[in-house]
Amino acid sequence: MIALTPDRCNLMLRLEGVRKAFKDQVAVDDVSLDVEAGQVVAIIGPSGSGKSTLLRCINLLEIPDRGRITVEGQPTDAKGGVSTKELMKLRRKVGMVFQSFNLFPHMTVLRNISLPQERVLGRSRAQADARSMALLAQVGLTVKADSHPSQCSGGQQQRVAIARALALDPKIMLFDEPTSALDPELGLEVLAVMRQLADQGMTMIVVTHEIHFAADVADRLIVMADGRIIEQGDPKSVINNPQVDRTRTFLSAIRDR
Amino acid sequence: MEHFGRIFEAAPVTLEVTATCFTVGALLGVVLVSGRRSRSWVVRSVSRVVIDVLRGIPPIVFLFIVFFGIGSGAITLSPFQAAVIGLGLISAAHLAEIYRGSLLAVNRGQFEASQALGLGRTTTYVRVIGPQAMRVAIPGMVTWAISLLKDSAIVSTIGVAEIMLVANQDARASGSSLTPFIIAALIYIALGTPLAFLSRYLERTLSLKR
Amino acid sequence: MHTWIFEDWSGWLPRLLDGLLVSLQVTGLSLALGFSLGMVFALLSSSRSRLVRWPSVLLVEVGRGMPALVMLQLVYFGLPSASITLDTFPASVLALTLTTAAYTSEIIRAGLRAVPAGELEAADALGLSKADATRFVVIPQGLRIALPALMGFAILIFQISALAFSLGLPELLSQAYSIGAATFRYFDILLLAGLLYLAITIPASWLVGRLERRLARHL
Repeated sequence: MIALTPDRCNLMLRLEGVRKAFKDQVAVDDVSLDVEAGQVVAIIGPSGSGKSTLLRCINLLEIPDRGRITVEGQPTDAKGGVSTKELMKLRRKVGMVFQSFNLFPHMTVLRNISLPQERVLGRSRAQADARSMALLAQVGLTVKADSHPSQCSGGQQQRVAIARALALDPKIMLFDEPTSALDPELGLEVLAVMRQLADQGMTMIVVTHEIHFAADVADRLIVMADGRIIEQGDPKSVINNPQVDRTRTFLSAIRDR
Repeated sequence: MEHFGRIFEAAPVTLEVTATCFTVGALLGVVLVSGRRSRSWVVRSVSRVVIDVLRGIPPIVFLFIVFFGIGSGAITLSPFQAAVIGLGLISAAHLAEIYRGSLLAVNRGQFEASQALGLGRTTTYVRVIGPQAMRVAIPGMVTWAISLLKDSAIVSTIGVAEIMLVANQDARASGSSLTPFIIAALIYIALGTPLAFLSRYLERTLSLKR
Repeated sequence: MHTWIFEDWSGWLPRLLDGLLVSLQVTGLSLALGFSLGMVFALLSSSRSRLVRWPSVLLVEVGRGMPALVMLQLVYFGLPSASITLDTFPASVLALTLTTAAYTSEIIRAGLRAVPAGELEAADALGLSKADATRFVVIPQGLRIALPALMGFAILIFQISALAFSLGLPELLSQAYSIGAATFRYFDILLLAGLLYLAITIPASWLVGRLERRLARHL
């Protein structure tokens, strides 16, 4: 175990022995994981495999029962509870994009992206708006800056959600089934933005059903089932040549739909 | 504490007024909602106006119209009778709206399936739609019953010897005028609490059955 | 007979309109004060501290559980024996404010609870503090959701203002009743008063219905 100090920061994320149970169901069973800076990790698996819960443990939307989460050299131990201060510190480095976008409907698109910057990072309105417009340009939605989320399509809303998360300059971006609630066509625009992000060197962890995305963009594919990682490796080899039976069954179920 | 005894004795009258008006309203409400859903545009509009008027007018104004306006002219009405007519009609209007909402909440497919099976209108409503609509309507009806219990206090103004009237008399007779009102308030709250629990219980059991 | 009615009606109208003005004033003032107080109670009743929550919930339940008429008469006839004597207008406003606060507290709380959990999660994930999330996400959204119910309640309070006649407040019903007592033409005058009430409540209800449909589209 190499000791992590801020200058040995090739390792962006380390999970050690993370465990989360709900009542009597174990959702995440002793998972350990290392993610290097700039890596794109895709997590797939049947529903109930714990992949979303694992993702939510990384930014502590779910507080694990056990385990340690180290982001960019800063460890957070689940034992004994997590203080609000630790939570805030971690969440400043980790951005999240949700399946149901979760934009704030009563604010314009611009405000959705600027408000968190003002309140969390203390930027002035002018600074925040400037950054927001730059990010909207990056995702191709400057024209929607003054619209409300209800006036945007699902794909547009999700791209705004990505911009909103990016506005806080996170080191890691988590994606929880970002395209599952979208029509295939709208999903493509979101995947294009994610691909762009990956090319720019963002560390990304994506829970998804999109096998093609995993194969083309991800550096590493993780297969989860029953709360554990059952297989991981280079996406193309895992998909074409799965070693574990469970993986094989899962992949063929997707292919034969 | 004699205050309490006297005021509490009037509680049955309050309950009687509430129960009678609710029953009248529950039955007449069916008539009103049928009118509201009639095929004839005239009947529909008249029903709609009647419901809107009965729900829009302050209950006490309507009660006065019934008691002082109608009930002291050609027809004489006792305070209790006027109360039942007044609050009964208002209840009918509110319950008709609750029924209407519950009928809309029943899946359209149920109507279509009944038609396809050849079930007549009466059978459809009584056997298929009715029970399902009732399940949705009951919480709203209990909520209205609680409101009616509180609204029934206004019949004291036309002389029905229920809780509020007795409390008033008591306050005027004795020196301490705060106590009778506090007691009256507490008794109303106490009477309403079982209904509130009933409403919560029904909400839970009825929503589970779906 | 019919021409007499309309002549009388136009003669009575000025007094009734004076009464209507008082009704509207009592209603307006009570709503303004009551909504604000209701907002306070809504937040107190949602507090995590039992010490804060229980008294608040108790006050709200009492305010909601007692008839408005009892509240009015308690404030006007009852408080003097506790050395608080109020005139009819202030007493009516106080009573209706308390009733409004109790009911609207529950309406607002329901609205706050109805804010989608996903948005709270997003606020959390973004690192917004609980205070910021409440201020920028929960309250604006919650109030928007509660708005139709709050407006429906406003119409209800206007109807309830008629009960203030029992305190002697010279509002609409009171004026109608005294004209009736003087002329014995109860039916006519009460009908006219009823129509004036309806002239406010029915258009108002219609507007609330439209607002409800508009809001449902945007949320």
